[in-house]
Amino acid sequence: MVNPLAMIIIGLGGAFLLGLLPERWRNTAYGVTLLALAAMAWIAGSWLYAFAVQGAPGVDIYTAGAQPPFAINFRVGLAEATLALLTTLVGLHAALYMKDTLFKQGRRAMAVGLIYVMALCGVIFTRDLFNLFVFMELTVIATAGLVLLSADRRALGAGLKYLIVSQVMSMLLLIGIIFLYHSTGSLNIDDMAAAQVNRLPGGAMAFFLVFIAILAELKPFPANGWGLDIYESAHPAFSAVFSTATGGATIFAADKLLQIGGDAWLPAVTVIGIVTFIAANILALVQNNDRRLLGYSSVAQIGLILTVVGQRDILDDAYYYIAGGILLAHAVSKAGLFWLSGLVAKRELSDWAALRSQPVLVFAFATFLALLVGLPPFPGFYAKWDLAHQLAADGRLWLLGLILFGALVEAAYLFRWFGYVIKREASTEQGLCWQSGKADVAFSAVIVAWLLAYLWGELSGHGNLLHAIPLLFALAFLPLDWLPARLKNVLAIGGLLTWFYLNYPAYDPLKLIFAAVMLPGGALILLASFQTGKRRIGFYPAAMLMFAGLALLINAQTTFDFFAAWELLTLGSYFLILRGKYSEPHALSYLVFSLGGAFLILAGFALAAQGAPNLPLAALAQVAADYAPWVFALLAIGFLTKTAAVGVHIWLPGAHAEAETDVSPMVSGILLKAGLFGLFMLLITMGKQQLYGVELTHVLLWIGAISALIGNLMAIFQEDAKRLLAYSSIGQMGYAVFGLALMNHLGWLMALMFVINHYIYKSMLFLSVGGVAKRTGTRLMYRMGGLITLMPLSFIAVMIGIIAMSGVPPLSGFGGRWIFYNAIMTSDYRLPMVIIFLAGPIAFLYLFRLIHTIFLGQLKDELRKVREAPFWIILPQMIFVLALIGFALVPGLALRKVDAYIGQYFAGAGGLHWEGLTITSQFGYWSPVQIMIVIGVIFVTLFLWLLFVNRKAQRVKQFNIVFAAERPYRPETTHVAWNFFAPYRKALGFLAAPLFERFWAMVVELLHSTADISRRFYTGNGQTYAIHLLGFVIIVYVLWMGGMQP
Amino acid sequence: MMQALESFNWMRIPWALLTIFIVFNFGFLMNATIQKIAARVGRRHGIPVWQNYIDLLKNYSIRTSITHGVMFYLGPVFRLSGGIGLLMFVPVIYGSDMFSNFSFAGDLILALYFVFFGTLGMALGAAESSHPYSAIGITRGLSQMTAAELPFALAVFSVALQYQTLSITDIVAAQQGGVLHWTVFTNPFAVAAAMLAFLGSMMRPPFDVVLAPQEIPIGPPTEYHSSFLALMQTNRALFPVAKMTVYVSLFFGGAASWPVFFLKVFLLYMWSAFVGVVFPRFRVEQSIRWFLIWAVPLGVLAVVLV
Repeated sequence: MVNPLAMIIIGLGGAFLLGLLPERWRNTAYGVTLLALAAMAWIAGSWLYAFAVQGAPGVDIYTAGAQPPFAINFRVGLAEATLALLTTLVGLHAALYMKDTLFKQGRRAMAVGLIYVMALCGVIFTRDLFNLFVFMELTVIATAGLVLLSADRRALGAGLKYLIVSQVMSMLLLIGIIFLYHSTGSLNIDDMAAAQVNRLPGGAMAFFLVFIAILAELKPFPANGWGLDIYESAHPAFSAVFSTATGGATIFAADKLLQIGGDAWLPAVTVIGIVTFIAANILALVQNNDRRLLGYSSVAQIGLILTVVGQRDILDDAYYYIAGGILLAHAVSKAGLFWLSGLVAKRELSDWAALRSQPVLVFAFATFLALLVGLPPFPGFYAKWDLAHQLAADGRLWLLGLILFGALVEAAYLFRWFGYVIKREASTEQGLCWQSGKADVAFSAVIVAWLLAYLWGELSGHGNLLHAIPLLFALAFLPLDWLPARLKNVLAIGGLLTWFYLNYPAYDPLKLIFAAVMLPGGALILLASFQTGKRRIGFYPAAMLMFAGLALLINAQTTFDFFAAWELLTLGSYFLILRGKYSEPHALSYLVFSLGGAFLILAGFALAAQGAPNLPLAALAQVAADYAPWVFALLAIGFLTKTAAVGVHIWLPGAHAEAETDVSPMVSGILLKAGLFGLFMLLITMGKQQLYGVELTHVLLWIGAISALIGNLMAIFQEDAKRLLAYSSIGQMGYAVFGLALMNHLGWLMALMFVINHYIYKSMLFLSVGGVAKRTGTRLMYRMGGLITLMPLSFIAVMIGIIAMSGVPPLSGFGGRWIFYNAIMTSDYRLPMVIIFLAGPIAFLYLFRLIHTIFLGQLKDELRKVREAPFWIILPQMIFVLALIGFALVPGLALRKVDAYIGQYFAGAGGLHWEGLTITSQFGYWSPVQIMIVIGVIFVTLFLWLLFVNRKAQRVKQFNIVFAAERPYRPETTHVAWNFFAPYRKALGFLAAPLFERFWAMVVELLHSTADISRRFYTGNGQTYAIHLLGFVIIVYVLWMGGMQP
Repeated sequence: MMQALESFNWMRIPWALLTIFIVFNFGFLMNATIQKIAARVGRRHGIPVWQNYIDLLKNYSIRTSITHGVMFYLGPVFRLSGGIGLLMFVPVIYGSDMFSNFSFAGDLILALYFVFFGTLGMALGAAESSHPYSAIGITRGLSQMTAAELPFALAVFSVALQYQTLSITDIVAAQQGGVLHWTVFTNPFAVAAAMLAFLGSMMRPPFDVVLAPQEIPIGPPTEYHSSFLALMQTNRALFPVAKMTVYVSLFFGGAASWPVFFLKVFLLYMWSAFVGVVFPRFRVEQSIRWFLIWAVPLGVLAVVLV
């Protein structure tokens, strides 16, 4: 192995060599720089290989032929080698990326760059405190020099401010080192650690100075204005290095120092870290400059890692896995994002829309965001999972909550940015300054990101997500995206059906119902996607990612599998929803609510596990009684977010309404069922729970009932057909949640009935309405009317759909209602039923409105030539019609087995009896076929009679109606459609007041105002920043040292 | 399936037709009688009792050459199917196997939901006439129905809870053995709620703004004429009686013979006629509020107390 000292020597030597070269030999100088960096990277890499693959033990390197403390020593271990490799690689890439700038600036700039990387390696390796100081000073000076490489004139000021602040820090550091040396008699970090400085006279104070100086380098809130100015104005490649390499090395230095201070200082680190994490994320909310936003995000991430460092007392073996996962995720993604920012010409966030001209850049951007936020399958995800479990096991719940809150805010602004990229207009033609060299550097980060994802998956104790076949199948659509959409559609349908076929034997009857709705059900909806020609870039990876998540969700055996699948389906569906024309804000709202829900689920699982690394889902049943209700509540709220229960429902209408025609049925008919599946899983394992004497399933009952009422009520006031259907979904899911919460056999059966029914009729209705909207160019119902003769098949689908949904016999909706009544007969709680009863008939109102204002009434002049919806959109609808009728006639086909299966969870004969064609319960009976026959015979007889009597009748023209004293001639004024239920609005409109929207808007507003006020701290004035630093030091001193002095 | 066909008692069909015939004639005569009573209250002479037959015959014999489309055609079919179907699905005469018709196909819940079959179909048909008055009538009707059905649903649920069954026959059986066993005495709140809801579903004042006989020509059926209208007239005789059969069975001890049935139904109908001649008309939002404020609490009380 090459001695790591060689890295220092190569760096220094290279820099000196550059100084000797003639100014004109630019190519040679650049070559020397690259060579030196590559050599350093190779050395670091070889050490990493030795430690990671060959399992070599850590090594101490002595200099000057003497043992410490008489000479400086280096230490190389796994962590050091990783960080050194990261630093040198980022440095190398920066040199490649900055080729133009370096050529312009010449060998001096290159020499400074080499010194910088060398110094960072020194910071990582050294075990000598004074040596650490020296390397840090070198870093500071080199940083100030490199900041000046930027073309931005503000960089000069930023560099100067940095120097001012770093001098203050250096002074603190140096004084601290002197005192520490005085009290311990050694400069070696290990010696100092052994000396237990806190007990020595003045030791604590000395350590404080060293500690605060290093910490201040990490740009903690609020003493970080200088850092942000650098991020904003420096060359992006340097910002990348500054964020990743400096950040990583300094964190590592802080970690080393803490060995001196001991565990007593960990809480201080935690507090500083978490405050920084949250404050920086909130401040980032209002940033509009891309690099400054990335700067805040860097600060936040470093804060998060610092928080993890603060937990080192409980993390044990997992420490490097977690901290490393977050650090590397941050480093790679942040470097990649800064490099991408160099390709974007302008600095507004929305200017990144220019990335769209190169879809592969969008992929890179998405990768970096997912990596940064910690979504599966990236390292941050595994790290977050483990961290949450460790924190929960040790009772540090407040910290877990704060971390998740900060992460949610971070996801919000990052994905808002992603929304801009996908949806905003690119401002100019030349929005992208494409240079293949720079792009290649950015892509290398993408590759590293995926490699890390694989590596962290391998290292995790939970199985590698990148080995999951559904996920791989979804990812395979990325390279295949150049294929024509129809071919990809065939592949997608084939994939869904094959996976279902392969797993069919393994499903129990309950899972089978969900799997059937999600997989073959998804394939059926995908038939409608044949309608879209061309390539449809981005659709299939997103759709298949969602389906992969759903497939994995059903197969999940452990909480980890479940959560990973949950996040995958959330991410996939977000990308899918974002495709809608005007869906940018709605997709974001969906993602934020979903991730918020997911984090609650994570917290719930973590709390349930109590440190167990791999908790089977079934083990939720054995959660200790102290936590069980809390676990239940967290998980339930998480799942309710997905089913859009009242209170957390506001994302749904926009997201479902604005999605594309074939996406709406997927996210409505299928995706909502994931929440129900989660609730099923939860109730099966945990059953009834009581929190402060309140039965939680009782609360769930109320939530379901109120959701049903509010959803239905809101639906009747919508003018937009898809929004109407979306609100109706809230109501329908409310019914299903209600059924589940009844906690009896038939209640669950009813919920399953809703799973099937809602899938069929809501998918069908969304497709019909989508087809109509496609042909008419509007979703506003009052602008349609009289389309029945022009779009007869769509009409039939809607008619069958609304009859089924309203619960009128003989279609399948009635089965749901019948089971519902039987289920509530045995329930102990009666008041929520009143709400459900009220919700029931209201459904008629919006359903009638849907069919009347679109298909009946007056045809508008501009729509007279509208054609029937395209074949591929009609085809699945007709299949759904048949399915509805089939399901109405023989519900036993789908329900009989699961009815018996549910029986095992409830004692007694609460189930149904299936004898021949009649279904009987404890209270009543129902025979669908006979009902169908009786109604059919009566209906047909009367119809034939009327046909016979009126055999000569002919259709009259549109305005041939009996009207008071005049003949109407304008369809617009004759079609009753707008504000259709005006009396209802007068009587009950107050119930539809958007209270929850106002509440969440207030929360968002509060966060933004906080950020807006706080950012006034950052005046851009160097003196202010110095005061911030001083204030930070004093505050930490007062809070911490005040408590520590004897 | 075949087994079910073989075991089916085919004599049920003529009995069912007989039931329809009896109820049809009874409904016609009763409608006319009530109209006459209402007229007398208003100091008018009123129609002869056979007037409705004449109207019906007239309408059936008129040959129309006008239709507004398929759904327009189907509207009355839906409507009358709803009426006849409901009659067929409830046991009319307690203890009589033959007059319980096809009630083996479903229980109380079937009856409760099948009520909407005709309403929905009628709404669809009327809407295709594209007459704005039809649409306005439907919005009013549906709005009012949602509020009026709520106390009824609560009352039904309360009664089902009380007798622990959803079978109408069983509920009637439980009320046998004396007047004091009727639900009206054992569960007065439920019956009170249901009786208020009843007013809302009978298309009489104060809840008749849906049809609005004076201001806009008869609401939803505006465009219906000749045999279309005749079908609906037929339904107007059948459907209320079918609905009142449910009321009689659930709340007033059922009927073990036709005379008892006639009497109970007539008295029930008189209740809505009586209120109708005394009170002026509500606007729709007023009636919604009225049901929510006066009838629903009774229903809630019934459900909670039972």
